[in-house]
Amino acid sequence: MSILNIAILITAALLILTGLYMLINTHNMIKIIIAIEIVVKAVTLILAFAGYVTGQYAVVEAFIITMIVIEVVVAVVAAGIAVNVYKNKGNMDVSELKKLKG
Amino acid sequence: MQTVIMFICLAVMLIASVAAAMLWSRITAAMCLALTSVSLAVILFILHAPWAALFELSVCAGLVTVIFASTISMTREYRQPDGTPSEYHVRFAPLPFILILVGVVLVAVVLISGFDVNITATESTTAVDTFKEVFWNTRQADILGQIIIILAGAFAVAILFKESTKE
Repeated sequence: MSILNIAILITAALLILTGLYMLINTHNMIKIIIAIEIVVKAVTLILAFAGYVTGQYAVVEAFIITMIVIEVVVAVVAAGIAVNVYKNKGNMDVSELKKLKG
Repeated sequence: MQTVIMFICLAVMLIASVAAAMLWSRITAAMCLALTSVSLAVILFILHAPWAALFELSVCAGLVTVIFASTISMTREYRQPDGTPSEYHVRFAPLPFILILVGVVLVAVVLISGFDVNITATESTTAVDTFKEVFWNTRQADILGQIIIILAGAFAVAILFKESTKE
């Protein structure tokens, strides 16, 4: 089980790295939301593992559910902003947000 | 058996997230993200978090994927912000090599330092608190916060779509 514990932590670290690499290298707003989701999933994995290690399953479950709710609301609002930017500018380039006025 | 399933799910999760990053198509990336969520749900279930697994599967793999699909269907970009598919693939080509390198370095650090995770959970700690008791009795502030966040999200989306229809 020890190898598995280390594998969980290394996988979470690699997921965070993947999300950050994607955040740096893309300008598409949908891809940016997906990158944020990947990082949040890595954090969820670490939280669940922490609950497993310490035995605080119920507290960690409550935290994870709170995090999932926040994640969904963030995704929905970000998608709404992306659609609005598309309607105004004709594409979903995040650099277009710099030109918004008013 | 559980260990094998865990390793498979971890591998699927990592490969699907890397595919979500590397694939140019936005809808395929959203599907890969859903696959990541499904793998995470299985892992959560094995790590004794069944309610979190249920939420992950229904909300993240289901609802968020639907949100992405509907957003993508509403937006057809004539000028791609990330350039052509070949330009995009060139930009993301180093990602697997970086991940392999970092993975090897992390494994080496673990082996050299002798790092290990000691599981301190005992039978008594696992049996005391059920999820229902903790969620409804001791985490009431979280529930209030979740309600406020959901209402704020619904309000924000309503405002965003109201402004867009006005225009």
